[in-house]
Amino acid sequence: MASIIRPSLLRHCRAIPTERLLSTNASTFSRAAFRSARPMSSSFPSKRPIQSALPNVHLRGSIRVAAFHASGRREILPPLPQKIQGTANDPAPVPDPSAAHGSYHWSFERLISAALIPLTIAPFAGGSLHPLMDGLFCAALVVHSHIGFESIIIDYLPQKRVPRTRALFMWGLRLGTIVVLIGLYEFETNDVGLTEAIKRIWHA
Amino acid sequence: MASVEPISQTAEAMSPSRPPVPESKTSTIKEPANEKDARMKTFHIYRWNPDEPTSKPRMQSYQLDLNKTGPMMLDALIRIKNEVDPTLTFRRSCREGICGSCAMNIDGVNTLACLCRIPTETSHQARIYPLPHTYVVKDLVPDLTQFYKQYKSIKPYLQRDTPSPDGRENRQSPTDRKKLDGLYECILCACCSTSCPSYWWNSEEYLGPAVLLQSYRWIADSRDERTAERKDALNNSMSLYRCHTILNCSRTCPKGLNPALAIAEIKKSMAFA
Repeated sequence: MASIIRPSLLRHCRAIPTERLLSTNASTFSRAAFRSARPMSSSFPSKRPIQSALPNVHLRGSIRVAAFHASGRREILPPLPQKIQGTANDPAPVPDPSAAHGSYHWSFERLISAALIPLTIAPFAGGSLHPLMDGLFCAALVVHSHIGFESIIIDYLPQKRVPRTRALFMWGLRLGTIVVLIGLYEFETNDVGLTEAIKRIWHA
Repeated sequence: MASVEPISQTAEAMSPSRPPVPESKTSTIKEPANEKDARMKTFHIYRWNPDEPTSKPRMQSYQLDLNKTGPMMLDALIRIKNEVDPTLTFRRSCREGICGSCAMNIDGVNTLACLCRIPTETSHQARIYPLPHTYVVKDLVPDLTQFYKQYKSIKPYLQRDTPSPDGRENRQSPTDRKKLDGLYECILCACCSTSCPSYWWNSEEYLGPAVLLQSYRWIADSRDERTAERKDALNNSMSLYRCHTILNCSRTCPKGLNPALAIAEIKKSMAFA
């Protein structure tokens, strides 16, 4: 599908900003050009226009804060100029169904989360500590946090925009999860185990 | 009666038998003077003009007398446009909360300007922005192209293969009809979608609460025969499951609907299936 940029947008992109923004790095300059080309409205807009309407008391405080920060405000992944896939009348593309990433994944995640509640309470309520119980608790905890971190990566590192960074973070997460699993296995087999450790810290 | 039409003026001039009515005997409507108890309220409005792409967006302040302004934010905006600044741009149509055109961010909440009362205390200053995290066309007008494209992608119409048994309209029991209450009232104003942080980050792939509510409206419809296909279209990591139950959507909906509940119902119907 050919991606088109609306002609009005092209007109905006040609324009070059006349004033240099307060910044310590050069790359924000080109970003600023994009931002002024088509502003993304935000619930937290730049403070300068509001302050002109506010009394000077507020202004002085904000200058103090601004003076405290030596570097320019750098946004992570600032919005790009708008691109419309196909024409405005085409429907947005529908991805192929994949239950492993969709419904099964969600059900599994919820089951693990629900299972963590009794697994957390059981060793303290029951009193006796079965190593198998402890192992189950550790495994559920690691899987739960793995899914949680994975969700954060999917949310904040879009596949289309930063595919390599996302892959890097995903593999980093997998590596971390494996290291934690090995560490917990060592801790469970050669030491007192997670539940007992928490108990000892609590009573220390 | 004296008339102002030129033709009658010439007629008057030609026939002096009927003298014009003196000014003392006519009633004149004068422009209202500034009242002493005027309730002046300040409105700060987001301005950006595409014709000046190099100038940054700014806030512009307007002062209105609340005694001469209607009760709603839209009345204030229309009055500013009519009497103060005709360059102020915003969308509006029905002025009664059924068209969804005037969706904007007023005092930090996405709502319809026509359903949002102006707070009467004059010490409070109103701040009006376009819908957050949308591309701005001009001033308070957001670009909703992506939103409408996503709405189109869920096929928001009845899909049936079998004709109705008696060849007339497709019937529905009152219980089945009741399932659509709270869904069909959505006017697609995009207040909920643009209030959702997950939609801010992933608006290209995540459908957002408004479109998912509409999707559930067709999944829940007993007359629709493509429920499985509709669910399949949502069964991936992005379209539906980027919803993290933040509930901004239900909180902000100016029509009092509950998109988060609809999304939860879709998730429930797709779980273990």
